[in-house]
Amino acid sequence: MLKNPFTASGRSLVHPESSHALELRDLSVRFNGLIVLEDLSLRVEPGLRVAVVGPNGAGKSTLFNVLAGLLPPSSGEVRVHGHLPAQYLCLAYVPQSSLIDWDFPVSVRDVVMMGRAGLVGLLRWPGSRDLQQVERSLERVQLSQLAHRQISELSGGQKQRMLIARALAQEADLLLLDEPLAGLDLPSQEQILSILADLKQQGITVLFATHDLELAAEHFDRILLLNRKLIAYGTRKEVLSGENLALAYGGHMQVVETKQGPVWIGDIGGHHGHDVEGRHG
Amino acid sequence: MVSWLVEPLAYEFMQRGLLVAVLVGVVCAVVGCYIVLRGMAFLGDALSHAILPGLAVGYLASAGDSPSLFWWALGAAVLSSVSISALSRGGRIKQDTAIGIVFAGMFALGIALISTMRSYAVDLSHFLFGNILGVTTEDVWLTAGVSLVVLLIILAFYKEFMVLSFDLQLATTLRLPARALEILLSVLTAVAIVVSLQAVGVALVVAMLVTPAATAYLLTKNLRRMMLLAAAIAASSGVVGLYVSYYFNVASGAAIVLACTAVFIAVWLGQQVRSSLRARSAS
Repeated sequence: MLKNPFTASGRSLVHPESSHALELRDLSVRFNGLIVLEDLSLRVEPGLRVAVVGPNGAGKSTLFNVLAGLLPPSSGEVRVHGHLPAQYLCLAYVPQSSLIDWDFPVSVRDVVMMGRAGLVGLLRWPGSRDLQQVERSLERVQLSQLAHRQISELSGGQKQRMLIARALAQEADLLLLDEPLAGLDLPSQEQILSILADLKQQGITVLFATHDLELAAEHFDRILLLNRKLIAYGTRKEVLSGENLALAYGGHMQVVETKQGPVWIGDIGGHHGHDVEGRHG
Repeated sequence: MVSWLVEPLAYEFMQRGLLVAVLVGVVCAVVGCYIVLRGMAFLGDALSHAILPGLAVGYLASAGDSPSLFWWALGAAVLSSVSISALSRGGRIKQDTAIGIVFAGMFALGIALISTMRSYAVDLSHFLFGNILGVTTEDVWLTAGVSLVVLLIILAFYKEFMVLSFDLQLATTLRLPARALEILLSVLTAVAIVVSLQAVGVALVVAMLVTPAATAYLLTKNLRRMMLLAAAIAASSGVVGLYVSYYFNVASGAAIVLACTAVFIAVWLGQQVRSSLRARSAS
């Protein structure tokens, strides 16, 4: 197993050697009798970048909420590096940028330090080790220069990078990113993708929810195709077959071979008309 | 000028009043920063009204002994905040609806109880609008002790309360005891309200919680500075309010709240003018 240098701490959990980064066993989630996720079973090896794709309402956000321990599953089990949800601190949820109050009176460094709150512990103040981790996390997302900025003064890409730095400060081995590229310009998207490639070098596992099949195919090691059930999990070739896409998108998604490679054309939600599910921007 | 400032200090009731006004202002302002940032002003207002039945029962039980009034009022506030969270927990009743139901119900109960005890000559207006010039030395000590405890708890849980207010999901993924912290924060709010009753009364407490914190929020984008600034604004408004009350014979609670409001209006107007000047120079 690749060793994440951030987990050299005595206070972090030690992972069992043979454990998977993520293991789901017959995971189901129901709200008021409505099935949102059904019988998901899955094993993810450490250090992979996994794109989680599926139509709107496929249960991507619900899955992330369950993995993060924010929502208890109706049945089944989640293990992160062998640990049950109540035990792990090694998972970080990078929320959609729109869920954050950007006018909150804190600086970039304050927010990244919040990632340490669990490791620092109750009734303690951050020590030199915590400060060091915060600086290193800021460096890795190239935000050291902006550490003093109030968070409302950041651009969209910088905000997203700050939230990733917060996850790194948390010493997480598994990162959940919910649509992190939504609304970002192309250079910012590239920058975040290169940070993800850097995380792979550190053995950090990334689950990345996106609408964008082409992005998933181009930049990720594995694709998880979800529509209430797990349609397919594997490499791009294994997952993005016409058959699987028909299962996930119900015939609203087609693969068109072009000279530049395959393009996926889909009809999401119905009321948008025909949207091209390619890279925007 | 100096004699104008010194003259009221000759009276012990003014000394005690000033001390309590400053203490209460600081505690409410610091707790109020969380209330403003979390957008929970309505809960603060509701809790302050919901303690009225506690005060009434406390008065009946102890004939107006302040420490026991304090505990009864605190009990009523904690009961109300627990009921609100229990009612809204299932999601069938929205939180602001639950707050409205509990707050009005408790307030009505308080008024009903007080209306039955004419013989005790309870002055309802003291509960509603405060009586800061009537505080005893014992009240000053109680206020000081309680204020210190509240401020120490906030210092101890500073980073947890910050995470909780900024990003509840993060608090949960970091395995912080989010629910316990939320309850602690609403108990601290209740304590701040109860301790301010003698200064400004049930009807005006929410201003002490919200106005100085909101003023500080306009002036700084740093939580620590926001708390210090809010405390300074509230403490000086308390002093100014009491002097105004002394010289112009205005109700003291109202004068303190008006001083806070005046500072807020000045800061808000100043920022409006500044941003419109900046817009003009930019175009």
